Amino acid sequence: MQGLNIQAAISVARKDIKIFLKERGMLLYLFGVPVVFILAFSISAGIGSAPQEEAIILPVVNLDAGSAASQTLLETLDKGGGVQCALYEEAQAEALLHNGKIERVLTIPSNYAADLQAGNSVTLFMVNGPDSNPAKSEAVQRVVTGVAADLSMETQLIASLRQMADMQAAASPEDQVFTSEIIVEQAQSQFARARTEPLLAVKESWPETLSEEDEQEFNPLSVYVPGFAVLFLFLTALTTAQSIYEEKKVGSFRRLLAAPISKPTILVGKMTPNFIIGLVQIIVLFSAGFLLFPVLGLDRMSLGSDPLALVLICLVVLLCSTSLGVLIAAIARTEGQISGLSAVVLWAFGFAGIWLVQMPTGGFLEAISKAIPHYWANVAFLDLFVRGQGLADILFSILVLLGFTLVFFIIGLWQFDYN
Amino acid sequence: MKETILEARSLVKKYGDLTAVNDVNLAIQQGEIFGLLGPNGAGKTTIISIITGLLEPTNGSITVDGLDLQTDTNAVKAKLGLVPQELALYPTLTTRDNLDFFGSIYGLGGKHLRERVDAMLAMVELTDRADEAVKTYSGGMKRRVNIAAGLLHEPEILFLDEPTVGVDPQSRNAIFEAVEELNRAGMTVIYTTHYMEEAQRLCQRVAIIDEGQIIALDTPQALIRSLGGGILVLGLEDPGVDSGLGQVQTVVDRIVELPSVKSTVRDDGHLKVETYRFQEALMGILDITNQEDVRITSLEKWEPNLESVFLHLTGKKLRE
Repeated sequence: MQGLNIQAAISVARKDIKIFLKERGMLLYLFGVPVVFILAFSISAGIGSAPQEEAIILPVVNLDAGSAASQTLLETLDKGGGVQCALYEEAQAEALLHNGKIERVLTIPSNYAADLQAGNSVTLFMVNGPDSNPAKSEAVQRVVTGVAADLSMETQLIASLRQMADMQAAASPEDQVFTSEIIVEQAQSQFARARTEPLLAVKESWPETLSEEDEQEFNPLSVYVPGFAVLFLFLTALTTAQSIYEEKKVGSFRRLLAAPISKPTILVGKMTPNFIIGLVQIIVLFSAGFLLFPVLGLDRMSLGSDPLALVLICLVVLLCSTSLGVLIAAIARTEGQISGLSAVVLWAFGFAGIWLVQMPTGGFLEAISKAIPHYWANVAFLDLFVRGQGLADILFSILVLLGFTLVFFIIGLWQFDYN
Repeated sequence: MKETILEARSLVKKYGDLTAVNDVNLAIQQGEIFGLLGPNGAGKTTIISIITGLLEPTNGSITVDGLDLQTDTNAVKAKLGLVPQELALYPTLTTRDNLDFFGSIYGLGGKHLRERVDAMLAMVELTDRADEAVKTYSGGMKRRVNIAAGLLHEPEILFLDEPTVGVDPQSRNAIFEAVEELNRAGMTVIYTTHYMEEAQRLCQRVAIIDEGQIIALDTPQALIRSLGGGILVLGLEDPGVDSGLGQVQTVVDRIVELPSVKSTVRDDGHLKVETYRFQEALMGILDITNQEDVRITSLEKWEPNLESVFLHLTGKKLRE
């Protein structure tokens, strides 16, 4: 058994990177296209993430049942479009949320009406379950926040006007101080206050494992940046396959095999550029999400709170993609087959990976999705970026991805045709 | 007697039921240019691929300079240089980048690598264009770079697999001169071709390959001499079935008795006459056919060269 010649593997890798850097189209494809995709999808998600045709069922626990104010809130939510309230008992809702049967619960506090009446601020609590669909949660959160803001404004303005009317009624005719200018000024002041200190606020929380500071608003970029990063990282597997195919086509692979270096050395040399390009790609995309997109007016994507977990999952995804490249090079015999795999498998799996993790849990789709590595990569990134989890929580995803890596690599080596 | 530098024993390569290489034995002497001559698909490239360690043989062994390819793979490979039939280069990289890379995978580095690259660029007369992408070169220039890439590590044995395919006459001559120059410097060259002129011009010994087997192996001169004065291929027509005398057979029997004729073979309606002295044999044959009243319907002379040796041995043309 011939050993690994690191120096020769580096030479092969360096040569492939030089070739890659001369392919401007490929550079655009691997770095420019993902950024455009992410921007396009994030913007479209930001504009209309709530499905218009079908209202999302919003489980509500009304602890102030019977009050007119809470009833008004429920009716306004239903009328607002996008959500349809469904009432649950508190214990029942907790159990269903815990079991993953419902994705979220909105709780109206017991002193809701009284506090509003007294002019005290009231907080509505929306708790998301661990498997809640982030896009839907985002949509619901927008509806509830919007309705709360409207109600705050309405309540505060009416209260203010009532106060002025009462004062006016109590004053003598010569003391009528509320001129139209003063009324407008007062209304504007209440309007501003309703925005900065709303009477009705919404507090959203993610799974119980989250700490207070981890609780965050859903940001589409935190789904789309890693989602497209995963899609394009796995697409770099094709550069490995194409590079090996090209070597075979022009005959330079025969030269490599004739050199005093082992076959594993050649394969490692061919795989390394894929790994490096993928690493640069992930750094570029995450930097864009974190640094560039806020400059463009989009929200800053979250990078989670566990840098070690982030680095580990990135490396494992890169390993998985690289070994997939070897597998494709081993099983695809023609350029057409490589392109076919690109179009059918990697794009389809990539998009499926992004969307399937947002689907409700359970069912046929979830079972199918677990058979593709993209899904596990997306789950891990969502756990880190959206759910604020850490290394321990994504360990299972990491192990599954390592399993895929091993399977791809072993089958690739077994099927690889050096001749 | 020159020393044997490469020995291949009982090489066999099978792909399922197909036997691509069938019991090939070779002993290449140090410093010779050895030709593997045969038509496309004869098995030349497969033999080279086995000897250079690209393909595992189904059976057989190879030793180079006393080292076994199977057990001392890298040490053997370091002694061999391969110039594949294809332009095995990276077209978007410059010639210098290509040569740097091929040198590095043979363990060359630093100043030594730079010196070897410069020397090879000078040898193939491409120093001025070393920093241009290979894809901008003409076919002949690419062929020269292809050869240079196989020489960077100063191999003891250079394998040239059909190096002149698709090359213009000027570049072909340049390649011949380069091969002769390398050989004069002491390099052993194994040269595959299906052009008999190339084998005849360059090679000190030639193995003629057909269907994976060596069917003749000698110096080109000896192989050609084996045809004597050349071969005459005759089409003969019997005067008529009515006579029932079978005059053609009589003619054949008389021709083989001629002192200038080595042998005769009746094949596919033709008579192939191997001669010692062509002119004398021709005159004798004409006399006999006249006397026996047999008409000559066609007459073809195969000049004594490697092409006719191959044709004589296989009944096929080299470029079929």
